[in-house]
Amino acid sequence: MADTAAALAIERLPEGPARIRVTASGRWTFAGMKERRHQLAQQLVELRREAPGRVAWDLREIRELDDAGAVWLVQALAGAVEIEVPTRYAEMLRQVSEGMLVPSKARRFDPLAPLEAVGRAAWGFGAHLRDATALLGRLVLDGAGLARRPREIPWRELSAGIYRAGVTALPVTMLVGFLVGIVLTYLSALQLRRYGADLLVIHIVGVGVLRELGPMLASIIAAGRSGSAMTAQLGVMRVTEEIDALSVMGVSVPARLVLPRVVALALALPLVTFCTDLAALAGAMLVSRFTLGITPAAFLEALPRAVEVVNFWIGIGKSAVFGFAVAFVACHYGLRVLPNTDSLGTGVTRAVVASITCVIVLDALFAILLRDVG
Amino acid sequence: MSGEVIVEIEGLVNRVGATVLHRGLDFRMHADEVVSLVGGSGSGKTQLLRVIVGLKRPTAGTVRVFGVAWNDRNAKKVRDARRRIGMLFQNGALYSALTVFENIAFPLRERGGLSEEAIHAIVHAKLAQVELEPRHAELLPANLSGGMVKRVALARALALSPELLVLDEPTAGLDPDRSERFVALIRRLREEQRFAVLMVTHDLDTLYELTDRVAVLADQRIIAFDTLEAVRQHEHRFIRNFFGGERGRRALQPGGAGSEWKAAPTH
Repeated sequence: MADTAAALAIERLPEGPARIRVTASGRWTFAGMKERRHQLAQQLVELRREAPGRVAWDLREIRELDDAGAVWLVQALAGAVEIEVPTRYAEMLRQVSEGMLVPSKARRFDPLAPLEAVGRAAWGFGAHLRDATALLGRLVLDGAGLARRPREIPWRELSAGIYRAGVTALPVTMLVGFLVGIVLTYLSALQLRRYGADLLVIHIVGVGVLRELGPMLASIIAAGRSGSAMTAQLGVMRVTEEIDALSVMGVSVPARLVLPRVVALALALPLVTFCTDLAALAGAMLVSRFTLGITPAAFLEALPRAVEVVNFWIGIGKSAVFGFAVAFVACHYGLRVLPNTDSLGTGVTRAVVASITCVIVLDALFAILLRDVG
Repeated sequence: MSGEVIVEIEGLVNRVGATVLHRGLDFRMHADEVVSLVGGSGSGKTQLLRVIVGLKRPTAGTVRVFGVAWNDRNAKKVRDARRRIGMLFQNGALYSALTVFENIAFPLRERGGLSEEAIHAIVHAKLAQVELEPRHAELLPANLSGGMVKRVALARALALSPELLVLDEPTAGLDPDRSERFVALIRRLREEQRFAVLMVTHDLDTLYELTDRVAVLADQRIIAFDTLEAVRQHEHRFIRNFFGGERGRRALQPGGAGSEWKAAPTH
């Protein structure tokens, strides 16, 4: 097979219906046409100008043909008076010319599209609420069932969940807590020193950390770490049909997959919050020692008097609720993942955003409900 | 067996962890022939395919495909050689986020140099070749049946008019009727466009209907590489079990799926 590139030989005929005879030869493949592309295009333009509709084509000299060559030829052949095609290429040329006739999907402008989008979004939100409610109901029922049959509680999964969401999260949450404690104390100390109310720093930092920042930091980090992992896990299980396999075996998916995760995070997050509180207070103590001259011993002695212990319990209680919410939202999104990679990616993103939003909304709710306590 | 050598492997050694999959394996394949690779499970058939298409780097030995070694420094040469290969993965490996049309158009767009109009024509020509209809073009892979996934994957593998088509278990997961039609489809496409086929298969019917030569992988190397008839005479234990088992005999009987091959053993 000689390495002959695609070529067109043009021959003028003295008489007959066709005035010009074009013989195509060589390799009419993508590679064979590549370097001659401009020359071929120019020849075609000339042919069209010189004798439109009076060209006879001879394709018998073609050595090799692929789809790219076939498309070029079919476009060039339009309006030819006579075409000679070798039988072995006839099928390919026919297929490509039929492929050209398939109408491409027109994307026309629809004036009602925005309205439709709003409607779809509302419908989608409704479907989310419905599914989430159904999942919550299912969890409550399954939880009640397990409470009656403690033997069936998936202890191993529960303990693995607590380890994964709790213990392994400690380094990062404690580091963040420590640093936030430092920042908060610095800022308050700067302001308070102007009024000579140095000791109030313990009130501000104590209440702020125990009641608000500890639970919030822990749950936001849990949403990013554990929540995204849960969505991705359940999503991949959906893609690989593992969830369907569980259903077929008669295993309740919410009971086996969702409940342990939700309970594990609801149990683990208070513990994480406790450690975050400790780290933040340690940061606060450190800064108070160096900027305000309050010794750690004095700090620890003043803390119980400055901050009522109920604030600590509110923080711990809130973090249990936050843990439940984060895991619940993450699992809800995980179960809605469709079997394709795109849906998995958007599902994880939305789960993290939705669970953090959910945590903040719940926190505001708690702040309003518990405004007279502590 | 005429034609230029398109796949050439010499002294291939492949180690996965502590196990040696291939040791001193030699393999040669010519343009325009259909080679089937058979072997027991775990004998490293798929790994050999992965080495040939350049997905896996061998521990030792030389591998040349279209005269190019995959670790060649000339990136353009390697890329051009890769584009002469089409691969059909076992489970299709369609891009799940793209429609059928976009999946087939993807390699064409990657290569560049074609107008959107030409791509449209080629994609629909490919769809027609694998017996799918234009209305299937806008579907997502998740909405396709198993047989359709294979056909779309075949259309994508053929999009660049490859000279070597690599099939990893082309009929696995298809029912007998579908796999027969799939084999007929590949055979028809091979009549229209000339390309070599290298496939891994367990399916004896597929083997009898398509193959020019059979390569048997056992004991970490190719123990036999010849026409089906010649390979069947081989005394190796694996070959006796593979072709001599109940299924093998049935497929070879007149009136069975292999009867067509029997009537015209002109390889």
